Amino acid sequence: MAKETIVIGLGNPLMADEGIGVVLIERLEALAREGKIPGADRIQFYDGGTGGMNLLHVLAGRRKAVLIDCARMGTEPGTIRRFTPDQVQTIKQLAHLSLHEVDILKVLDISRQLGECPEEVVFFGIEPLEICQRIGLSPLLEKQIPYCLHSILRDIAPAL
Amino acid sequence: MSANIQINVHHVTRLEGHGNIVVNIRNGTIEKCQWQVPEAPRFFEAMVRGRRWDDIQTIVSRICGICSITHSLASTKAVEDALGLQVSEQTDMLRILMHYSEQLQSHTLHVGYLVAPDLFGEKSVVPLVGKAPDAVKKIIKAHRIANQWSDLLAGRTTHPVTLTPGGMTKIPTAQELKDLQKTLKEAVPDLVAICEVVHSVADRMPAFERPTEYISLRQDNPPTYTFYHGDIVSSDGYGPVHIRDWESVANEYVSPQSTAKWCRWHRDSYAVGALARFNNNGHLLSPLGKKVADMFGLKKGCCNPFMNNVAQLAEAAHVVEASIELIDKLLTKGLKEEKVKVTPRAGRGSGCVEAPRGILFHTYEFNKKGECIAANICIPTNQNHANIQKDFEKFVPEYMHLGEDGLRHGMEMLVRSYDPCISCSTHMLNVTFVK
Repeated sequence: MAKETIVIGLGNPLMADEGIGVVLIERLEALAREGKIPGADRIQFYDGGTGGMNLLHVLAGRRKAVLIDCARMGTEPGTIRRFTPDQVQTIKQLAHLSLHEVDILKVLDISRQLGECPEEVVFFGIEPLEICQRIGLSPLLEKQIPYCLHSILRDIAPAL
Repeated sequence: MSANIQINVHHVTRLEGHGNIVVNIRNGTIEKCQWQVPEAPRFFEAMVRGRRWDDIQTIVSRICGICSITHSLASTKAVEDALGLQVSEQTDMLRILMHYSEQLQSHTLHVGYLVAPDLFGEKSVVPLVGKAPDAVKKIIKAHRIANQWSDLLAGRTTHPVTLTPGGMTKIPTAQELKDLQKTLKEAVPDLVAICEVVHSVADRMPAFERPTEYISLRQDNPPTYTFYHGDIVSSDGYGPVHIRDWESVANEYVSPQSTAKWCRWHRDSYAVGALARFNNNGHLLSPLGKKVADMFGLKKGCCNPFMNNVAQLAEAAHVVEASIELIDKLLTKGLKEEKVKVTPRAGRGSGCVEAPRGILFHTYEFNKKGECIAANICIPTNQNHANIQKDFEKFVPEYMHLGEDGLRHGMEMLVRSYDPCISCSTHMLNVTFVK
């Protein structure tokens, strides 16, 4: 039986700040293990890697999906923004529909057509400072992690 | 026939990474015909230098989000070769079962989501959901089964966590394997139905042929349709070559039109992938795999690159049947927890497995502390680039009568038929908010 909420971290941790989604999922999983997230038994934390059509399957059967990813939003590096699919005009300019570069909005579209899309979908975008071949975040984003965790936890565990 | 054709496809869609098609035809004369690869280098070989032997798999699994199990297996085998580690029969069987899951996952993705839209005259799988809902639902179901299968054996769908040099960190229970086997048996009718749907539109695949050297693994003892063990062979009759000598087969070289290295062995180019495996091992397919190949008229010696996708369907059927049999063997022998003890040492080793899109090589060298001091990785798509170029050189004069749009579409389909995976390094969102 799929857990009610899925929190998906996207990105590649070998590409500096591009891996912020995966890093945040690891930290959230650690907090859940330590019993610091109320209701964590109803939440699945998922390292979605570079995403793509595989996300279709992990979205199925949930009430709520939270997607965390590095995002170029034209804001200050380190900024975290919460938004929903209807607040976004286009989420990926290179919507090639390859397996990796699949537009997440299109995955949600297919999921809706199949009648299995979560009723609530939320994105957290984090503006990167550096995208390059390197393991580890920039010091700026590393410093922002507590604030990012706070923002996400406020959404997935309001009792906190 | 159009006397003048200008094709400049900047980034072909529905394939992994970025590739360009450039064709200039003036007054009926082909002035330029190129497959270009403009991807930035990714430096994985440099990234693993200085890393410990037990870090390698975790890092290189991120080379690809589709065939991360394959990269993990090839790298783990290479590390084991360098450190002189032998794995148990149980580990070997579980890894092969894990690898089968990725073959089904990747082939279903490619044929179902990327190739089928071409055959149905659609731009992507999204409109196909409305046009052929039953077929799409079956494809999605097969893909979902493969993902759950990967979760069970690899610990998650992508980027495995159960592999470690010398063994496995976690093994499934007997009941989990029984449940998987039941699911796979139930999946067979859906797989046949998917093949029948693709067959109903298969006449849209161009009847294009170009004699080609096909390279793959071959396992003679016991004779197996192999994705995991064996030596390197060529459909031209060369080999077997031991996988430690893979560099003498790949013969990588630099091409000015590509940031990726190209390969050749006995001809100007060679092809790897499902069709290569079929041409070298097709007689060893499972009964259902053979039935699928027969349905499409796929025969040994086929040199139509578009038939690579048919070979993928035959392999999808094969891995399901082969896994049902493998699970029987595992259950008969009984599963047991195994401890792994590794002592680092200096050494050089190679690992090779068949990725869904072709033969994949990893080589690593370690110092006596077990730190990586050199690495060399050769992915299947690199090995296919020169062959795509050679196909273009024959395809363009044969199909230029289709005019600009028809020729462009045919060339895009040709590239996609190889199931290329040029790059899969990033997934950044570009967000524009509604004002």
